[in-house]
Amino acid sequence: MRRYLRLVRIFVGATLSAQLEYRANFLGAVLASLGEVGVALLGISILFGQPGVTQVGGWSFREALLVTGFFMLTEGVISVFIQPNMSKIAEAVRTGNMDFTLLKPIDAQFNVSTRNLNVLRFPDLLIGLGLIGYAASGLEVTPGGALAAAVLYGSAVVIVYCIYLGLSTTAFWFVKTQNVTELFSGVFGAARFPVAAFPVPVRFVLTFVLPVAFITTVPAQALTGALGGGLALASPLIAAALFLGTRWFWRYAVASYTSASS
Amino acid sequence: MTGDRGGAGDAAVRVRDLRKGYVVHEKEPGFLGSLRSFVSRKSRVVEAVRGVSFDLAPGEVVGFLGPNGAGKTTTLKMLSGLLHPSGGEVRVAGFEPGRRENAFLRQITLVMGQKQQLIWDLPALDSFLVNQAIYEIPDAQFRATMAEFTEVLGLEGILKKQVRKLSLGERMKCELAAALLHRPKVLFLDEPTIGLDVNMQESVRAFVQDYNVRHNATVMLTSHYMADVTALARRILVIDRGEVVFDGDLARLAEQGGGGKTVRLQLRRPATPEELGRFGSEVRVDGLSAELTVPRALVSERAAALLAELDVADLTVEDPSIESVMASLFGARAGQAGQPERTPEPA
Repeated sequence: MRRYLRLVRIFVGATLSAQLEYRANFLGAVLASLGEVGVALLGISILFGQPGVTQVGGWSFREALLVTGFFMLTEGVISVFIQPNMSKIAEAVRTGNMDFTLLKPIDAQFNVSTRNLNVLRFPDLLIGLGLIGYAASGLEVTPGGALAAAVLYGSAVVIVYCIYLGLSTTAFWFVKTQNVTELFSGVFGAARFPVAAFPVPVRFVLTFVLPVAFITTVPAQALTGALGGGLALASPLIAAALFLGTRWFWRYAVASYTSASS
Repeated sequence: MTGDRGGAGDAAVRVRDLRKGYVVHEKEPGFLGSLRSFVSRKSRVVEAVRGVSFDLAPGEVVGFLGPNGAGKTTTLKMLSGLLHPSGGEVRVAGFEPGRRENAFLRQITLVMGQKQQLIWDLPALDSFLVNQAIYEIPDAQFRATMAEFTEVLGLEGILKKQVRKLSLGERMKCELAAALLHRPKVLFLDEPTIGLDVNMQESVRAFVQDYNVRHNATVMLTSHYMADVTALARRILVIDRGEVVFDGDLARLAEQGGGGKTVRLQLRRPATPEELGRFGSEVRVDGLSAELTVPRALVSERAAALLAELDVADLTVEDPSIESVMASLFGARAGQAGQPERTPEPA
C-alpha cells in the first residue's frame, strides 16, 4: 500500500512537470471551465427563472444549485483525474504501448488509472466546491448530513470511475472507443439537474440503468437530510459491485490482449 | 538442460512445442469492402507460431531471424508474457510468462525498437525515476546502474533534455537504459537498432554485449541488420512460417544455407566469365577482380586449379555473407554482400 502511495506521488510529479511544458494551454482550460459552469447555471436559471416557479419536482432553487455544484465537482473529478487516464487506454492499445504497461511489475489497472492528471482543469474542482458551499450556506445542514454526503460522494466517484474504465476497457477489442466515452458524457449531462426534474420513466433509467442519480442527486439529498436509508445504502453497494465487476472485466480484457504488432 | 524450476543447471528460457493462433478479420480492399466488413466480419484463424521448441542457457546470446511475418515478434511476446500461447509450454527464468507475476516481470525486459516507453515531454531522467519507483530499485543500485549505462552508452548530456528533442539514436539509447534499469536477467530485443545510423548501431551493440558479459544476462535478439546478429550472437535460431527451420551456430548456418564458399580473385590478366565458369558458379567479373561461388567440399581443389591455370595475383576464400545465406534459405534471389537493401527482411 505504501509502495502504491509512493508511486502515485512519483506519477503526479511526472505528469505535472510534463504539463508545465505547455503554458499556453492554461488559458484555454480556464475558459473551458468557465464555459461549463455557465452552461450549468443557465440550465437551472431557465428552470427556476419563470415567474412563480419556486420549486421543481420538490426541489428549491438552493437545493437544485447544490446538485449543480456536485455536477461541476464531478465534471472536475472526471477532467482532472479520470478522463486523462482513460483516454490513454485506447491510444496505448492502438499504438501497442500497452505492452510496456503490462510488462511492469505493478498492478496494470492501477498503472493506467493513475499515470496522468490534467492539472489545468483543477479550477473545475474549486468551482464545484464553491457552488456546493454557497448553496449549502442557505440550507440547513447537519454534521451528520455533511458526513453522509462525503461518503456518498466518495461512492459516486467510484461509480463514475468504474463506468469510464469499463467503457475504455472495450478498447482492447474495439481499439477506438472515443465515441463510447462521449456517449457517457452525454448521459452524464443529465446529472446537472436533480433526477426529480425528469419524468418518471427517465428517472427510473437514470437511477437503476445508468446510475447517474447516485452521482449528484443522492449526495445532495444526503447533505440536506432528505435522503431515505435505502438509497443511502444502495450507493456504496453499487459502487463496490461496479468496482469488482470492472476489475474482473479489466483482467479479462488484459488476458485476451493481442498487442499491436511492431 | 531439462531440469525443473529452481535447479542450478536450469535453462534461462525453455520452450516446448509453443503454438499461437490468431483470429484475423479479412477485408476486401476499397470502401465497399470496408462497408461489407463493418456489417459482417469474415474471420479465420492464422497459425503464427506452430510448434516451436528450444532452450537458452543463462548468459547465452541468440540471434532470432526469419522473414517478416515468420512469427518472431509473436514468439517474443509469448516469452515476455504479453500473449498467451494457444498451446505448448514456456518457462522463462523458471516462471510461466503468461501469469505475469511481479517476480517474473522484474527479471525480464522487452525492448521494441519501434515503440517507446519514455515520457515524451520530459527529460529521460524523469522516466528513469518513474521506473526506479515501479521496480523498487534501491537508490545505491540506481546510481550505480546509471553510472554504468552513462559510461557505456554515452548518455552524458542527453539525460536532462526533453525526450521529444532527442535524436532517434539518442532516444533509442535512453529507451535501452530505461528498459534495463532494473538489471533484468533475460533480455528480449526486438529490432533494437532499427532506423539507427551505423555509429549508433555499433554503440547499441557494444552496450548489449557489455551488459551480457557484465550481468551474465540471456539475450534473444531480432534484427534487420545482420551485423547486429553476427557481432552479438554465436547461436542463430531461424524461424519461418511459425516453425524453427534452423538452430545452431553461425558457421553451420552458412554451410546449410549456401553450401558454397565465395572465392575472390585479383587477376594480373583479364579473364572472361566463360573461362571462370569452369571453376564455379555465380561468376562476376569486374576488370581484374572476379568473384565466384565454389562448393564447400571442392574449395581447395578448385583454388589450386585456379592458381595453376590463371595468372592470379591474389586469392581469398570467404564464407558467404549471412544475407545471401538467409536469401537462399528462404528461396529469395541471392543477396549480395555490401548491398544491405537486398537483406531479406530477417526480422
